[in-house]
Amino acid sequence: MSLTLPPLRILYVEDNPLIVFHVEAMIEDLGYIFAGSAGSFAELVAEFDTFEVDAALVDIDLADGRTGPAAAAWLQERGIPSIFVTGQMRVAAEYPQLSLGTIAKPISTQDLAEKLKWFR
Amino acid sequence: MSGTDGSLDWVLILAPYRRDAEYLKTLLTQHDMVVKQAAGPEELAERLNEGPGILVVTHEALNPEVLDLIGGHLAAQPSWSEMPITVLLDRVAPQARIRAELGGRWPRSRQIFYQRPVATLELLSGVQSALLARLRQRDVRDHIEQEVELRRELNHRVKNILASVTAIFEMTRRGATSLDQLADDYAGRLQALSKVHSVVFEADGEAVDLTAIVERTCSPYRSDAGDRILAKGPPIRVKRDASMTLALCFHELATNALKYGALSRPEGRVRLDWELSSDADRILTLRWIESGGPPVTEPSNPGYGTRYIRSALRGLFGSPPQIIFDPGGLRCIAVGPSSRIC
Repeated sequence: MSLTLPPLRILYVEDNPLIVFHVEAMIEDLGYIFAGSAGSFAELVAEFDTFEVDAALVDIDLADGRTGPAAAAWLQERGIPSIFVTGQMRVAAEYPQLSLGTIAKPISTQDLAEKLKWFR
Repeated sequence: MSGTDGSLDWVLILAPYRRDAEYLKTLLTQHDMVVKQAAGPEELAERLNEGPGILVVTHEALNPEVLDLIGGHLAAQPSWSEMPITVLLDRVAPQARIRAELGGRWPRSRQIFYQRPVATLELLSGVQSALLARLRQRDVRDHIEQEVELRRELNHRVKNILASVTAIFEMTRRGATSLDQLADDYAGRLQALSKVHSVVFEADGEAVDLTAIVERTCSPYRSDAGDRILAKGPPIRVKRDASMTLALCFHELATNALKYGALSRPEGRVRLDWELSSDADRILTLRWIESGGPPVTEPSNPGYGTRYIRSALRGLFGSPPQIIFDPGGLRCIAVGPSSRIC
């Protein structure tokens, strides 16, 4: 009997493709599956059905404005837990009920590794 | 003229005696001005909140409560605002004392005094001139708001660029096997970013012609042997963020071709083409096809270029690109709705 769980599939809601690129590589190197990215709340809603997702990292400021909290709430309604990834720590702190916590930008691999464990 | 939304182009009259108010209102209305009246302090407070262009007030209206109300409104004005106030004084009123008192109690206002009975022409031209001065203030307000907005946008973009540069550095560092390689690759990527930035800037920060992006990004590889990268496709204007992504992808593809692919041999060629489907979905297909280079084998460990192209084109097109390591030449094909790119 194996005790290992299948790797979590992580969605990243972020509008800067280079940050997505970096985080995607970090997520994969840490043994998770990168499930894809959405650059805006609108894109998340439009494409959610095309992703296979267990958990999400969510930026606060997206291509359609400060819609990260709304995106996290929307994901929460669908049973997907979120962690905020942002330079706007204060804004993130206003929505403690929407996320398991916050990862500060710029993102360090160590911080990401620690906090992805929260999804377990 | 609307007279609402802080448009500052209407006249507020405070004249407690009906005859005065009616006379003023009729006169100003006849000369195409929008006029509102306030009968007492309560209505005055309400109307002041609506943002009058100027205030016309009669001497008798100025009881302590009204003086304070107006004083409070003036003190709360934003820095660009100096509300003109026209005061109609009685001939017997102690003019010097009143002017001194109002000057003290009403900071940051432009006060104009008339002695009754007022000559119609004088009053009209005074009120009109005050309204024009007020519209100038409104222009200043709009410029300030615009500047604040621009600064916010600039801050956002600078932060974004710094985050991009950091991500490029971190990812370049991972793949680097020597300091020289790190330095060269990083400099090349920053240069590609810088070039596309210039293209976007020249396009006023808006959509950019795809051909212009290709030309700027691929120019270092075209100068020596003419058109070794043949770009072809219908005119397409690409959104700002998409231009950045495409430019960096072309940069990765071109440098890879130069090091290991078609451009590493004199007879090698690259064909870069794109097309739009004619149906309602307007599907964009973008292809990078190499030929005439050394035989291609799939690398066991995908490097920065491959990983970047996969990640960036997947995000941009909404589905992952095909990257085919064909022995005859590398091919990279991305397909997706043009609405994501244009």
